[in-house]
Amino acid sequence: MGMPIVVEVRGDDAPFDEVFDWFRWVDATFSTYRPESEISRVARGEPPVSPEAREILERCDQLRAQTNGYFDAYAGGTLDPSGLVKGWAVDRAADLLDAAGVHEYVVNAGGDMRVRGTWRVGIQHPRERDAVAAVVEATDLALATSGEYARGRHVLDPHTGAPPLGVLSATISGPDLATADAYATAALAMGASIAPHWVARLRGYGALLILDDERVLSTPSFGCAPR
Amino acid sequence: MHATVAVTPKKHVVTTTKTVQGSQGQADRWGTVQVTLTVKKTTTTVGRKKTVKRTITKVAVPVYPNHTDRSVFINQQAIPLLVQEELQAQFNISQLQVIGGATDTSYAFGQSLQAALLAAKKL
Repeated sequence: MGMPIVVEVRGDDAPFDEVFDWFRWVDATFSTYRPESEISRVARGEPPVSPEAREILERCDQLRAQTNGYFDAYAGGTLDPSGLVKGWAVDRAADLLDAAGVHEYVVNAGGDMRVRGTWRVGIQHPRERDAVAAVVEATDLALATSGEYARGRHVLDPHTGAPPLGVLSATISGPDLATADAYATAALAMGASIAPHWVARLRGYGALLILDDERVLSTPSFGCAPR
Repeated sequence: MHATVAVTPKKHVVTTTKTVQGSQGQADRWGTVQVTLTVKKTTTTVGRKKTVKRTITKVAVPVYPNHTDRSVFINQQAIPLLVQEELQAQFNISQLQVIGGATDTSYAFGQSLQAALLAAKKL
């Protein structure tokens, strides 16, 4: 996946090897940079073999519908479900830690995370490299951010093929990181005219949008533990 | 000799207010919705020139879907539900335990706040 993954626990012993073996398997299966990976073969038209690949393809379709097409694994012309795979892999890693009885942990993959217990999380400022723009006291929560600052404009509006305007970063909180990550990508792609309306209606997920006119909009449930 | 007499055309203004009701429509799978508009019509007649201006003064939704939590929720105006603040930059990260939204790539990670935080914790 080409991104740093940090697993941090408090107190408890944790099955770190099992967690990182899982991430290595995910990378081997879903890396679009490896021509021999299962996802590369599926992108070339072969049917998916593993149940995990089938699950990912199914969820891509569901999320595409839930986001009115703004989360689109085919937005770049070929299949690339990386935006969903990362969050999903972290959710599964969190399941492994839960099953091992770890009570306080963070699994942080490239700035998107699942936390168990309470952790003070800073959200990277979109314009100031050395600053955070918001602080979230997160308990048992998934937090995903999509922004322009990490890789330049890598999110496109699938309806226009152009980069969206007006949203510098979108952070989504909720129970499940795969969904939160897809919603964050969608909100960024919607741009400032649509995203605030759309995030205000999300159920079970909160949102924090940073707009390019330096307004910060958040839903009342942003950062709250899922019910 | 001609005398010029300025004749001011008489101005006549009539205002009426009318309420119109749309038909009941199906709002996707959430139920039935109906909209009522109150329209103010101002007719101004100056000489032979007649100007009609219509303004919507009220929008009411007498029938709206509220049979599920979801449809009650979407009935609420979306934007007033959002809290608006000005963007702040907080440079002191020593009280934080994790940084989110920071780094997508290994390249950027070395210079990221999350890396700085881990270095401070000596992990």
